[in-house]
Amino acid sequence: MSFLPAPLLVRSNAPLARVTGVTRLAAGVLWLVAAAAIPDARGELVLLVTAVVVLVAWSGIPLRPLPRRMWPVALGALGLGLTAALGNAADRDLALPTLLALGPLRLTPPGLEAGLALALRVLVIGLTSLLVFAPADLTRLADALVQQLHLPDRLAYGSVAAMGLAPRTAADWQATGAARRLRGLAPRTPAGRLAAVPGRLLVVLVMALRRGERLALAMDARGFDSGLPRSRYRPVHAGPLDAVVLAVAVATVVLVVLVQQAG
Amino acid sequence: MTDRGEAVGAPPAVRAVRFGWTYAGRSRPALHDLSFTLEPGQLLLVVGPSGCGKSTLARALAGIVPHALPGAWTGALMVGERDVAGTPPGVLGQEVGLVFQDPETQLVMPHVADEVAFGLENRGWPRDRMLAAVPATLAEVGLAGFEARPTGALSGGEQQRLALADILAPLPRLLVLDEPTANLDPPGTTAVLQRLARLAARRDRTIVVIEHRLEALLPLADRVLLLDGEGGQVAFGSPGEVAARHGDALAGGRTWPAVAPPAPDAPVVLQVDAVSAAYPPVAAGPAPAAVDAVSFVVRAGERVALVGPNGSGKSALLQVVAGLRRRTAGTVRLVDPDGLREDPARLPSTALPRRLALVFQDPEVGFVARRVLDEVGGPDGLQTLERFGLAGLAEEDPFRLSTGEQRRLSLAATARQRPTLLLLDEPTFGLDERGRDAVAALLDEGRGAGQAQLMATHDPRLLPGCDRVVALRDGRVIFDGPAAGFLASPPYDPPEPWRLGGVPPRVAVGSAA
Repeated sequence: MSFLPAPLLVRSNAPLARVTGVTRLAAGVLWLVAAAAIPDARGELVLLVTAVVVLVAWSGIPLRPLPRRMWPVALGALGLGLTAALGNAADRDLALPTLLALGPLRLTPPGLEAGLALALRVLVIGLTSLLVFAPADLTRLADALVQQLHLPDRLAYGSVAAMGLAPRTAADWQATGAARRLRGLAPRTPAGRLAAVPGRLLVVLVMALRRGERLALAMDARGFDSGLPRSRYRPVHAGPLDAVVLAVAVATVVLVVLVQQAG
Repeated sequence: MTDRGEAVGAPPAVRAVRFGWTYAGRSRPALHDLSFTLEPGQLLLVVGPSGCGKSTLARALAGIVPHALPGAWTGALMVGERDVAGTPPGVLGQEVGLVFQDPETQLVMPHVADEVAFGLENRGWPRDRMLAAVPATLAEVGLAGFEARPTGALSGGEQQRLALADILAPLPRLLVLDEPTANLDPPGTTAVLQRLARLAARRDRTIVVIEHRLEALLPLADRVLLLDGEGGQVAFGSPGEVAARHGDALAGGRTWPAVAPPAPDAPVVLQVDAVSAAYPPVAAGPAPAAVDAVSFVVRAGERVALVGPNGSGKSALLQVVAGLRRRTAGTVRLVDPDGLREDPARLPSTALPRRLALVFQDPEVGFVARRVLDEVGGPDGLQTLERFGLAGLAEEDPFRLSTGEQRRLSLAATARQRPTLLLLDEPTFGLDERGRDAVAALLDEGRGAGQAQLMATHDPRLLPGCDRVVALRDGRVIFDGPAAGFLASPPYDPPEPWRLGGVPPRVAVGSAA
């Protein structure tokens, strides 16, 4: 019925699941900055290997469903890597040795290096996002954002509530298509399908807005955002484990820089 | 039905004096001239046709009207010692809890314990009090041990009892329930009404209930407020007093009159053979039931009810029959008068309207036009609208109609198609008695013309009007036979909720938990 993926069942006692969402975000942002800044493939490889080790040892994320989830990232990495490798400026430098020739395209060592670096970078970004967001549910992340970064409750928990409505909206979208088919209005061409989108979107949006409005009223009726200070049912405390995770993130980045300078 | 004794001098729990409310942008008031007094510990049942302002009264008691919605206020409405219009909603919210119709649009958090705690956090309860209150309140509504479950994996009845726990946890003095069983299957309805009966028996808080299922609630009510279609007060008093003068309004739900069975040699219109379908998992938790090796036929002029608990595969089966959901096994065949057998999933879209139509539970998803008249279409569109009582709304936007009008419009749209097979998903959901009667009359007309009808429903009162009942459990057919046989011994455990008038008995005060 729904095209939203089922959530991954993550082991909740895994180290990454026990640190706060803000810790994971901070470590993740550090890695992403490093991944973006590093020019060569060796540095990216260090990040990738570390990410895989963290995934297997620390994340509690089940590995079996991952290929099905992550294949778009892998495909993107491959595509971007190939493009960068074969479209590299160095590939036109005839002084460089040819590693591989594909018709008019040739692969040179700098091209290979650039392609590898980009492919690895995409993989690191995908895996880092997984490590940041998958280990704990949305509630915990909202808790951490509110309690540690002092994001407004309305924004954080409003988003949590809105996400709960997403499956219904996805189902509505499919139902609008089904209704049109039954009424003899199914578009027969891709162009027709595209032309039907605004009408279906309008229906889905109207319904989603109504539903959101009802949810907001229900939240108000329960005293949400009424001006009283909220108490916390799930207090968020950063502990030694948070320090360890941050230290590992920093250490990896330092290692990457050292590998660069050694090379 | 005796008055509950109260300490002399305590202020009334609710007091309305010529209270009225007009939403911004509307010319007619949603409510006007309500005057009544409710003593602490009493249960008030609010009765009236759809669109009469019952929900507006619920919103006003919780302070959503006037504090969260714009409009014009007249008269006075007091909750305890507080004037609703002059009390900030946060303060009023300490005393009033409101349960809405649709469980899904009032649950905020993804997990059960967090959901109950949400309202307590909003009120600034210290954590140790919350840690004690959450499991205690869940136990009170029969959800002990559900703390870590995802709310999305609960049944409708469980979700609605969770919503009840949400508002019970902060210990409000006034409990307002706005059609809390409208979306529930019979067991879910029974469970919610039983909890409500227990709460009422304790008499430690005032309860206002808006409900169409009068037969279940009248025995619990101390007071009845009867509204007319325009938001005015017809009567207020004890159930006996109101019934004496306005018996019709409190008569309870009518059952659909029995129909003459179609000729036994009527041609088969739909043949479903060993059909299975799978649900993709939607959320963590137990996977929802699939359709599992289901077989049955529907003949011309026959009305078949598809019954079963929430999640037993009724809607999924309708979608498989309509060719909208992929089946994993089996065949679905539409048989036309010439004996041609076709799979609806393979028919081109343009061939479908005359063969089958589906009236969605939520009519809005089926609307394709921006104007009521265009939704029906054709040169005789206006006559069709006339027959469905919608002629006056021809120029309106379908999305601006009331639920009852929307349902009639989606029926009107299918009526013009004259499909051989009409599929209906909860056709009376959200309708009052008048709306149900209108839908029933239209369906009778179609059936009389030889249309086959397959209808998923939770409402046992519709079953006498059906030729056959196909009952599902966990995606399997566990009963296929005459409606009378189903009603005599419903194949479910416990069977009571599935019987006509199968609503919970009055709970003895002594047994209140």
